[in-house]
Amino acid sequence: MTKFGTSDKLSHQLAYDASLAALNNADINFNKIDAVVCSTIEWFFSVEKQRHFAGMLSSMFRTNKPIIRVPGGCAGGGHALWVANQLGYDNVLVVGVEKLMTCKSDAILDEFMMAMDSRWEQTEGMIAPASAALAAGVYLNKFPDTTTDDLAKIAYKNHSNGFLNPKARFYGKKITLEDIKNSKVVASPLRVMDCSISTDGAAAVVISNDKSDIDIVGSDLSTGRLAPFESKDMTTWDGTVITRQNALKQAGLIPQDINFVEIHDAFSIVELMAYEDLGFCKKGEGAKMIRDGVVNLDGKLPVNASGGLKAKGHPPSATGLSQIYELVEQMRNEAGDRQITNNKVAMAHNIGGVGGTVTNHVLKRV
Amino acid sequence: MTKTIRWICEKCDKKWIHPVEKCLYCNGDIKKQIGTNLKVIGVTKVHAPSPLHPIVPYNILMLGDENGNRMPKKTIKDYNVEDSYEDKADSSENTVAVVKIKYDFYEAVKEALELMGDVEVNENTKILIKPNLAIPGYSYIGICTNPRVLAGLIQYLIEKGAKKENITIAEQSFFVPLEKIAKKSGIDNVIKKFGVNYVDISKTEFEEKQEREFTFEVSKIVNDFDLILNVPVIKTDMIVGIDGAFENLTRFLSKKTFDELAKDPKKAVSALTLLPKIFPKFITIGDASIGMQGNGPGMNGVPGFYNLIFAARNPVVHDKAVQEVFCLRKLPYVELAGKLGFGDISNINFTGNELESLRRDIKQPIGSKLIKN
Repeated sequence: MTKFGTSDKLSHQLAYDASLAALNNADINFNKIDAVVCSTIEWFFSVEKQRHFAGMLSSMFRTNKPIIRVPGGCAGGGHALWVANQLGYDNVLVVGVEKLMTCKSDAILDEFMMAMDSRWEQTEGMIAPASAALAAGVYLNKFPDTTTDDLAKIAYKNHSNGFLNPKARFYGKKITLEDIKNSKVVASPLRVMDCSISTDGAAAVVISNDKSDIDIVGSDLSTGRLAPFESKDMTTWDGTVITRQNALKQAGLIPQDINFVEIHDAFSIVELMAYEDLGFCKKGEGAKMIRDGVVNLDGKLPVNASGGLKAKGHPPSATGLSQIYELVEQMRNEAGDRQITNNKVAMAHNIGGVGGTVTNHVLKRV
Repeated sequence: MTKTIRWICEKCDKKWIHPVEKCLYCNGDIKKQIGTNLKVIGVTKVHAPSPLHPIVPYNILMLGDENGNRMPKKTIKDYNVEDSYEDKADSSENTVAVVKIKYDFYEAVKEALELMGDVEVNENTKILIKPNLAIPGYSYIGICTNPRVLAGLIQYLIEKGAKKENITIAEQSFFVPLEKIAKKSGIDNVIKKFGVNYVDISKTEFEEKQEREFTFEVSKIVNDFDLILNVPVIKTDMIVGIDGAFENLTRFLSKKTFDELAKDPKKAVSALTLLPKIFPKFITIGDASIGMQGNGPGMNGVPGFYNLIFAARNPVVHDKAVQEVFCLRKLPYVELAGKLGFGDISNINFTGNELESLRRDIKQPIGSKLIKN
């Protein structure tokens, strides 16, 4: 994967860099690739002015092989990996890329808002942080033991991890718990530092039928409605629960078998809800996971060792594949200062929209 | 009134937030479920501006109804969890109702009319509806009144007791045969569906009416009805600023009068200001479902997704509200009408949605010598 942050490269250049790195890492060249699955959103406001990304990759890769573009919102990367798994080819290159930082922040808010229902939500001002904030409000009312301090601790934990990740947007940048608690409110009760950081970036993965040191033992994609106000319980996202159940069933595992996780922490509350929806604790007990240090880098179940979307950064279509990159680095003991010791079985959880598309991948070191 | 809407299969109880006609699972018929007893179950105060919502802070309420359904609602006013949420209907002259369309045009039109105090209709009420069919255009580009808005309005009137035989759609075009426009816009399908009457105003008799220095030839058709519903599509206009309540009335005039006024834009504005004086009282239902921005009102304009219905008893109030919501420059005819006492534009009462929660930029019409910054 490329470093996440602000890049002067264009989408296809970032995708090329990540793809080259993935091919080198897999020790094969492009001749052996049967198909490419790519994901990118193609932002309306971007000054890139480039559409038909599959065609562009054909030019970059000098190939006539099938290239399938999968736009899955913020779950584009996970979605692309799931599609690649269904294709039946021997070797597939999966690449996700986003060039987001050519858009102004209000334009980015507007673009992200287009993942909400146009008539019910967009016209009511439902920017993405507001949607998460409403879920947070309902959660905090329902489980009054949980406080905004717990949410701040989740953000702090991810910043602490991102501080150690050379590929992260916040690598080497110290963020204190007080910085998080004192940051501006975006949509109450969520503050700026409860929100993930938009970045440019690309990530790529090669999957193969050949023997490898890491297997994908569970891969699931499910959908969970565009508008979260439709769900039975606003503190649970069905897509997260269903993909977890299906992926673990495929793997023949239970949640307690998972050693570490990359969770889609678009907002601190989303990570908290995912602790519960992914089956790592009971409903309403997510805060205990962060208070007791269970999800810290040295905890029983490290979550977002990479820094997550919060501190590593969130180039939407690249995020899901960057999670796989982190799992693989950790499993190969190549994660440097943030290396996890109990690292045999891991999970990647990627969300598009506000739970509208969810993927779950379970990886196991052979 | 603000309401939740769901579409539910009568056979298997599957539920949608989007209108469907048949159930995908059992092919069952669909019934509508409306929730009106709304309570606040969540609140967030948003501090981040975005292009469609530039004024911050604003609140988004998560409302829950008696059926367990939810919907978000933007408001400037502060609420707490457990508070009731209710819009207040107001039939005063300075009220404008502004309603967001939740996919269902009938419900939106009904809500807008109810919020402005509703219309009195019975089986004998003769109703004249005046859409905007001035220029040919498909329904999705904001040139003509949206046929779905018109259909929603007619359905509502019939449900209130009006007879289809007593409902007449009337319009004329000074440029293109009216049948061509009705067909292209899809309005002809609405007329056929409901079996209502259809009149080309150019083929009616006209009478002279004098107002100040102007002599207007006005279609006599306006004298034949108990209720006139003016249903313009909200468009920017390079000459007068907005095609709204006032401009839509011009096609009750003869072509001769229209051509004379068109020769001198300044005089046209003065004449436009006087139009409400020469017609019987009417109600305006502004169709801003898909409107127009930029150099309208023709093909040089740009369609705009506004998703709103306006309703007002006073056309000055209606057009001033449109100008304020879309942050357009002051409209000379509205300002003049205000000065002449045709409507209180300094004190407009918004219901359904507050002005500050609706305000957003759209592309201004550029090039009008009449409209100054």
